[in-house]
Order: sequence, then structure tokens, then C-alpha cells
Amino acid sequence: MREITNEIKAEIKDMIFDYYAEECEVDKASINDNTSLQDDLESDSLMLVELIEMTADKFDMDIKLQSIGKYMLKTPMNTMNDVIDMFCKVYQFGNDIVEQ
Amino acid sequence: MFKKIFLFNGIGPSYEKLLAKLTPELMDKYTFYYETACIKLGLSKDIEKNHGYDSKIAQWLVPFICDRVIYEHCISKGITPDIGIGYSSGIVSASACFKAIPHEAAWDIVKSHRSMLIALDEAHEELDTGIIVGFSYDDLSELLSKEFSTDDLVIGSCNSTFHSMISGKASAVEKAIELCNNEGALKAFRLNTGTAFHHSIMKKYSLEYIAYCNDLKYNDPEYPMMSVFDLTVLSTAEQVARENHLNVYTQMRWDLAIKELEKLGATEFFDLSANGSLSKFSRVGRKCKMYTFDDICS
Repeated sequence: MREITNEIKAEIKDMIFDYYAEECEVDKASINDNTSLQDDLESDSLMLVELIEMTADKFDMDIKLQSIGKYMLKTPMNTMNDVIDMFCKVYQFGNDIVEQ
Repeated sequence: MFKKIFLFNGIGPSYEKLLAKLTPELMDKYTFYYETACIKLGLSKDIEKNHGYDSKIAQWLVPFICDRVIYEHCISKGITPDIGIGYSSGIVSASACFKAIPHEAAWDIVKSHRSMLIALDEAHEELDTGIIVGFSYDDLSELLSKEFSTDDLVIGSCNSTFHSMISGKASAVEKAIELCNNEGALKAFRLNTGTAFHHSIMKKYSLEYIAYCNDLKYNDPEYPMMSVFDLTVLSTAEQVARENHLNVYTQMRWDLAIKELEKLGATEFFDLSANGSLSKFSRVGRKCKMYTFDDICS
């Protein structure tokens, strides 16, 4: 398990907000932890794939999409907070996220 | 060297989503072409007023006309392709835009699918397609081969390293969706197409389409095309004809075709689908620029 600092958490959150703001063509300031992926942003699974790829590049990780998929079976992604939480766990546990 | 690549859209996205993206100027052009096509095919220009099989044909016609309008818009702005590639029925669009066949022939090809829908109904064949996100081609092949014969289910198109379209018997598609969800798909869902495009089972239902393609006179395309079936560059009438023949009932490898284009020097892709549906699954992990319709218009 990798240690995660507050700075890394903030970096992850910023990356996620930046991505959704640009991709969904909304003002970043209008996104908060409770923003709904579906209702507010109409996001799709391909956006999630891009975020996973960005995270893998940024933190030099090898992430299997199926690990994320299995994690999401237990923990559905509804709000921005869910996404931030998942990507923090990805940073910490990598492909072992499925056991969290 | 093929630097600029035009991507042509297939039947798939809802027509409302495509039309919502067109600018008023392009919508005018679209309306003219669409109404002309409807008169030729004996359809109502109001999509909702078509019933039964005609309803589907009227809807399937939309991406063809949208692609044409956007293609002509690109050309008018001085954006010209070095090569083009069609996704599924996008092959027909590319063939028409590159003048290998007349646009009227492309409309007739769409109409020829009417007999396919009738034949499927008469045979009481329940077919479907589905989308799986989160598996590589090899991982998905391995997973599906344990559970299904290729008579029942195939990967109709591998679209990227993480995105595939499966095709086959409706019951097999349903079961595969469940299996993939349990095995960690980020998303897996049925498309409820009632057809199994890019599965060999479609050959026997596509006789009118095949006959039409056989009778059609093809010209050398104005720009070459990349084959999504055997990854070769198509520059003659015969090669484009073959690409069109194979369509409907042959498995595609969109992922490898795009990769091949990168090897051949691609630096810029132009997604001609109004809603960017091709670039969505093609752009991840790519260094090349991938322009959408919004980019082209801005």
C-alpha cells in the first residue's frame, strides 16, 4: 500500500474536477463533491477510462480496468466524492483496490 | 504518408443526438439532402411519420446524410483528407463521399436493409449487439470463448484497447453482458438492435444488400480508404467494392485499422460523426490530434 498525503489527494481532486469541467463543458466552480455524475454532468464510462489512463500516466502506475470494474460492482460511482475516493484508493492500492 | 484521416460514422447513435449538433446552415443542407433521399426511397421526410420497417430505414438514413454534410463542410473549409476510414456503414458513407459510388447508391444500400429486417422477422431470429467497456480484445476473446461458440456470439468489432461491440444471438448477448459485468466490465449493455451486424449469421439475411453491391458500378475513390477488415489501403474500385461486400456480416478490427493508420504517418484524425462518437472510443491513449465536429466548426 502506498501512503497518500493531503497534497496528493488535492492533486487528484483537482485533476478530476479539471477533467470533468472540460469534458462536460461546465464551469469548474460549479462542480463540488456532491455533483452527480449522471444527473449533473451526463458523464459516461469512456470518461472514466480516460481518467484512469490519466491517473496511470501521472503517477506511473499500471492499472487494469477490470480491477476498477470489480471495485465498482461493490461501490457504485454516483457522485464526484465517490470518484475522488476511488481514485485515491487507486493511488494507494493499485490493482488491489478490488479487495478494499 | 497519410497525415489527415477522415473517420466516417456508422449506424448507431440516435438520430436526435446527431441532428441536435448541426448548425443552422448545415441543418439546411441536411434537410435538402434528407428530403431528396426520402423522395427517392418513398419515405416520409418526417421520421416519426414512417412506420414499421420504414421507420428504421428513415432513422438509419440520418447518419449517412449527416456525414455527407459534415464532409462537405470540411472540404469547403479547406480541410481535405489524405485517407478515410469507415466504421461499419460508415464504409458506405466514405465510399459515397469519396465518389466511389453515387450518394443515391448509398441511400439505396440503406433501403436494401429493409429486406434484411423482413427476413429476420420471418425467420423469428432473435439477434442483438452489445457494448463492452473495460476489456482488451484478448481478454474478452478468452472470456467469451469459454462460454460461447462463434455461431452464437462474436466480437463484431474491437474498437479500441478497452472497447468492443459484441454481436450474435440475443440470448448469448444478454448472457455475455452479465458475465462481463461480473468479471469487471466498467460498463456492458445491450444495444437492442434486433440485428447482429458483423456476425456471419447476417450473410443469409443480407442477400438483397449483397446483390445490390454486386450490381453496383464502383469508381476508384477520390481519396484512398483503410480497410477495417484486412487493414490494407484501398485505392481501386475493386478494393472499395470488396470492402462494401464484406460489410454487414464480417468482423471488424477498428482498433487495428486506426493503429495501422498511425504506422502510416497519421497525425490528425477528423471525426465526421456529429456527436463525436468515433473519437470517444478512439482517442484514449493516442498522441495524435483527434478533431471532433465541434472542433471543426469552431
